[in-house]
Amino acid sequence: MRKYTMPMLLALLGPALAWAAPNPKLVMPEFPGLAQKASESVTITLDPTLLSMAGRFLDGNDPQDAATKEIIKGLRGIYVRSYTFDKDTEYAQSDIDAVRSQLSAPGWNRLVETHSRKTRANVDIYIMIDHDQAVGLALIASEPRQFTIVNIIGAIDLDKLHKLEGQFGVPKLDIDESKTPAQEPRKERGSAPPPKS
Amino acid sequence: MNQDIESGMRSALRPVAPSDEFSRKLLARVAADPQARPKSYGLMPRSARPLAWWLATSLAACLVLAVGIERHLEQQRLQQSGLEARREVLQALRVTSQKLNLAFEAVKSQSTSLADEKPGL
Repeated sequence: MRKYTMPMLLALLGPALAWAAPNPKLVMPEFPGLAQKASESVTITLDPTLLSMAGRFLDGNDPQDAATKEIIKGLRGIYVRSYTFDKDTEYAQSDIDAVRSQLSAPGWNRLVETHSRKTRANVDIYIMIDHDQAVGLALIASEPRQFTIVNIIGAIDLDKLHKLEGQFGVPKLDIDESKTPAQEPRKERGSAPPPKS
Repeated sequence: MNQDIESGMRSALRPVAPSDEFSRKLLARVAADPQARPKSYGLMPRSARPLAWWLATSLAACLVLAVGIERHLEQQRLQQSGLEARREVLQALRVTSQKLNLAFEAVKSQSTSLADEKPGL
């Protein structure tokens, strides 16, 4: 009888342990209504198979491709939903809340919560840590005319993720440096050029 | 008397080799009449064999070509999917990067404004 006790215990506890393990994959709503209203929408679903396939088509000699290859090496999934609208407040707060509510699950920690009065943009960054290793990242960005959700799954190296800055034509912010914007004026993205006198 | 009859019959029924003329005529008739020729034991007549060979070769060539085209198309499909996946990865990271920068920009501007306020305190 005793020899059956351990396997039975494992069989009973297995599903419970699996359920208890943190799951960094968010259930991404399809937002069919938003996709119709949006002037531009981005829906990206990259599972491990597609990520590894993409990795094979990234050129190691190209700096951008090499950086991307390095970033996606430990990832198991990238899911993006982004909608851009022609008018303000085309999306409801409940659309965001459907995703945000999942981030109250155990394992998720809010890393950054920002609100810009100037751009009226809110960006929340959540991270899931398991055994001192970041295993998931969720980003919710809501702007008056744009709404973006990003969910990255896998062994995320925050240093590598930080290297995303300056890539893809996005200006590098030099966060860790002591330079202030006053010392080195930086042109605002999307701002109009100064009028010619 | 019986012996005479027997020897007479033996001499009358002795094996006689056919004449050369008979053999020649027989072979000539066989050559002229196709039905008289011995039947082929193969699946098809001898005359159809080159055609069958060509058909088999063409069929094999078609099969090889079809497999080759299928593999080429499969390769193309794979390449297309790979390039599409690559494009999606780059786009996903671009979006992530933009939003991370938005957050970092907000954090930075907040810390800058705090630093600006400090000397005045």
